[in-house]
Amino acid sequence: MMKKLKAKEEENLKFEKLNSPIVEDGSCCYQKLHFSDKEEHLSMASQIIREWSGINTFAPATQTKLFELLGKLKQENVNSLTILVMGKGGVGKSSTVNSIIGERVVSISPFQSEGPRPVMVSRSRAGFTLNIIDTPGLIEGGYINDMALDIIKRFLLNKTIDVLLYVDRLDVYRVDNLDKLVSKAITDSFGKEIWNKAIVALTHAQFSPPDGLPYDEFFSQRSEALLKVLRSGARIKKEASQAGSIPVVLVENSGRCNKNDSDEKVLPNGTAWIPRLVQTITEIALNKSVSIHVDKNLIEGTNPNQRGKLWIPLVFALQYFLIMKPIKGLIESDIANERKPAWERRDAAFRKRDLY
Amino acid sequence: MASLAGPNHLGSAALPSRRRKTPPVRCSKPHCDSHPPFFKTIAISSAASILMHCTPLSPFLPNPLGGGGNGGGGGGGGGDGGWFGGNGGGDSRGFWSRMFDAVADESESPEWDSHGLPANIVVQLNKMSGFKKYKVSDIMFFDRNRKTKVGTEDSFFEMVSLRPGGVYTKAQLQKELETLATSGMFEKVDLEGKTNPDGSIGVTISFSESTWQSADAFRCINVGLMHQTKPVEMDADMTDKERLEYYLSQEREYKRRIERARPCLLPRYVHNDILDMLKRHGMVSARLLQRIRDRVQKWYHDEGYACAQVVNFGNLNTKEVVCEVVEGDITQLDIQFQDKLGNVVEGNTQVPVIQRELPRQLRPGYTFNIEAGKQALRNVNSLALFSNIEVNPRPDENNEGGIIVEIKLKELEQKSAEVSTEWSIVPGRGGHPTLASLQPGGTVSFEHRNLKGLNRSINGSITTSNFLNPQDDLAFKLEYVHPYLDGVYYSRNRTLRVSCFNSRKLSPVFTGGPGVDEVPPIWVDRTGVKANITENFTRQSKFTYGLVMEEITTRDESSHICANGQRVLPSGGISADGPPTTLSGTGIDRMAFLQANITRDNTRFVNGAVIGDRNMFQVDQGLGIGSQFPFFNRHQLTVTRFVQLMSVEEGAGKPPPPVLVLHGHYGGCVGDLPSYDAFTLGGPYSVRGYNMGEIGAARNILELAAELRIPVKGTHVYAFAEHGNDLGSSKAVKGNPTEVYRRMGHGSSYGLGVKLGLVRAEYAVDHNSGTGALFFRFGERF
Repeated sequence: MMKKLKAKEEENLKFEKLNSPIVEDGSCCYQKLHFSDKEEHLSMASQIIREWSGINTFAPATQTKLFELLGKLKQENVNSLTILVMGKGGVGKSSTVNSIIGERVVSISPFQSEGPRPVMVSRSRAGFTLNIIDTPGLIEGGYINDMALDIIKRFLLNKTIDVLLYVDRLDVYRVDNLDKLVSKAITDSFGKEIWNKAIVALTHAQFSPPDGLPYDEFFSQRSEALLKVLRSGARIKKEASQAGSIPVVLVENSGRCNKNDSDEKVLPNGTAWIPRLVQTITEIALNKSVSIHVDKNLIEGTNPNQRGKLWIPLVFALQYFLIMKPIKGLIESDIANERKPAWERRDAAFRKRDLY
Repeated sequence: MASLAGPNHLGSAALPSRRRKTPPVRCSKPHCDSHPPFFKTIAISSAASILMHCTPLSPFLPNPLGGGGNGGGGGGGGGDGGWFGGNGGGDSRGFWSRMFDAVADESESPEWDSHGLPANIVVQLNKMSGFKKYKVSDIMFFDRNRKTKVGTEDSFFEMVSLRPGGVYTKAQLQKELETLATSGMFEKVDLEGKTNPDGSIGVTISFSESTWQSADAFRCINVGLMHQTKPVEMDADMTDKERLEYYLSQEREYKRRIERARPCLLPRYVHNDILDMLKRHGMVSARLLQRIRDRVQKWYHDEGYACAQVVNFGNLNTKEVVCEVVEGDITQLDIQFQDKLGNVVEGNTQVPVIQRELPRQLRPGYTFNIEAGKQALRNVNSLALFSNIEVNPRPDENNEGGIIVEIKLKELEQKSAEVSTEWSIVPGRGGHPTLASLQPGGTVSFEHRNLKGLNRSINGSITTSNFLNPQDDLAFKLEYVHPYLDGVYYSRNRTLRVSCFNSRKLSPVFTGGPGVDEVPPIWVDRTGVKANITENFTRQSKFTYGLVMEEITTRDESSHICANGQRVLPSGGISADGPPTTLSGTGIDRMAFLQANITRDNTRFVNGAVIGDRNMFQVDQGLGIGSQFPFFNRHQLTVTRFVQLMSVEEGAGKPPPPVLVLHGHYGGCVGDLPSYDAFTLGGPYSVRGYNMGEIGAARNILELAAELRIPVKGTHVYAFAEHGNDLGSSKAVKGNPTEVYRRMGHGSSYGLGVKLGLVRAEYAVDHNSGTGALFFRFGERF
């Protein structure tokens, strides 16, 4: 797997040398939307990798931690990481992507559903490449948007997902059937295994729980409820989900996010969330589960029309001998056991053969 | 010497020969032998002329033979004529004259003469005037032995041809008396008149019944078709010794006759009944013989042997009563064709075609049975070649006691063509109909049947709602049917059918689930050629196998070919990227496949309720010929069992039993499965309470159903529960139409219903949504 990735990366580098001018520059959203077709086309053919300069905008403490984690990954011989970000619409997927990268790479449209296409952002730093795939919201009008899901799947063709970042909001009190549908859709598309590579990110973390409920308690309740519904949607039994559970991390994308002494963005409970998130990503990337490689089979399923085709002659023969023949036997026994009227039976016995 | 000839029923009488003076040991004898034939002839034609008559439109005549059967019972007009075959001893002058008498009897003139005597005077028959026509006001029987008057219900009454209110001459009355006297039933019989004030006379017949010594054995023999011995005239001048010899020889002859006679069909239990009768009565009387005759004949007629008759009782005055029966043996089977006017013509139909439909029991050598006649009628009728069919037993003149079964057929026109038209007025511009908006539509059909007289046929039809623009909805069918593929003489019954067809159906695959308002419909057009061979094992069980080549086109609402189903987007727009409709992905598929279907059906009706098993297995085996080289094996197995829950007495008018119906249907497909061939769940013949396809469309399905039918007042009410399941195979249909149209893939329903004639009214609750609805459906679910 890793070798494969490396090869791909080399290819990518070659492309970089060609220096394609088209970039996913979030600062120019009009242009981006305009070019989105082409961009997608290109990004599917190759990946344009830019230097991860956004990392420099983080607080020095955060930077240190990030480099530390990157180093750890490199140590494990992981040079590239692909994160798939999914979730319902309007939960802050794109913002989260921007926060991680440290630039406004993806346009954010707070009041309307984002562009219907997924976007992949690639950044490299010190020989390590980070790919983040932002996807449109899966829910539309109370149902799964099949078309969006289909586009996502096609976009992901021949890519390997190392981490799934499932994004939802923290400041929601209830879970409902939609969460289950989303989870089911993800499972149906990529298989159950993807949940071994999943992280649940809860956005809007800078939020005061109602009625003085302790923050941590609210957080644990919320995450427990969400995980439960995700598991049921994904049809994962609790005991089967290995290592107990899917990790839940908190995210606060707002610019007014509190900062600590070292200028890191921190959550109400005092942890700096970016390093924490990246750390969780690293852990998940390095866990024993295999990354999900999206191939044609995974997207379309095996063609059911081809399944068992070779057996058809045998099936036909079995049908003839095991079903049709016995039915014919039954018919024959019906004929033999037929209840004939008295006159028919009597005359058969009394036939006056001798007369003629 | 006593012999009793028992003619048919009512009208006729059993006539024992009047041989009172003969020594008691002597018994029945030759005389009678020569007569039964005559009398039989009449009886048969009157009693048994069953005319079975039907038109192809009403295949089952509820009681086509009712007339015949009853006719037999009634003894018909013949009875009135006063047939009594028996006759006595030397009475060889016979029947012809008597027959004429009978005719004469019927031609009474309405005018009558007054007796011209004072009222209330008893007049002996020989005192009556030979020139007057007497009106008989009433008839009375007086039994001298018992010294009582005999009621009209007495069997003797049947023997008299005189009717109250009739007008008779003295000669006729004498004849009547003679008839009674020679019937053998009476020792002595007299007739006298009593004058009435109004000029008519009342007739009193006083008699004493014949009796013979008691018997304790009974034997029934079939004398039909037996060679009749000519009676040797007894010379009045014979000496006593000669006479003795004569009687002895006759007795020997009769014994031989009994031995030669074939056994009767009469079963043991009737035999025992009669023995009981004999034992109870002790002395054998004429009345007892009449009752025995009635009992024997009743059994025969109840069993459908309409031509059977008791013709004689022999061996009287011995320990054994011998009942001679002519059962109605068929000597010849005669098939004839008639034209419209009833003239016998040479038919177009080949005779073996008809012969193979006739039950064996109608062939020479069997006893004629009316049920066999009915069967023949039904079978021949099912050929649909004849406008009129008669099965008619008639006495064989050359072979006394024999029956010729005549089958008379009127053939239908070989060629027929039919045009039916309809005009429809379509709103034109502005909503007003104009001349141009008149659309001529209709059906043109033709049929050429019974080619070569072997029931081969070609038929075709074309239907359109607009002949000016027929490409829109032209439906056609052309079919060639070739029965008796193995030859008309072979009992194996295989029929070849070749047909061209087209059809247009709404695909239930593209249907929304609950809560999905409107799924744009997809029409599936099929055009093709089909050739198959059907082998009929029984009337209901058959095996069909053949080749189907067809082109399938899928179209949207506006008749444009479409390759994918459409779906309504949440935004309200319509997207055409739904599940693919065809295998090729172009909207047009061509394919050839083998199709085989075996159906086993042993259901039968018990007082109108269906009982039995019905199993069907069908397989469509793709051959890899066609678009995308379709190779598949699509199969379905249906098992339906109708369980009778209570044993009931069978018979017309009896209530049907409660029935439990268990039904299972499995459908599956391996290999290429285009959407139009996917199995759908839901609908009146799948899972009731849902719309067609509302539950899902899948590769493998299982349907289970149970229905309990309780008879109520000539119909039945029923309760049912059904379940349909896609076995998780919805996703194995390309494009997963079940999920795209938001269907569950499985569903149950339950409900109650009542059968109202052909219509079922049922309330079914759909378990997926929990709502119920009332449905009216035609026909049966199973």
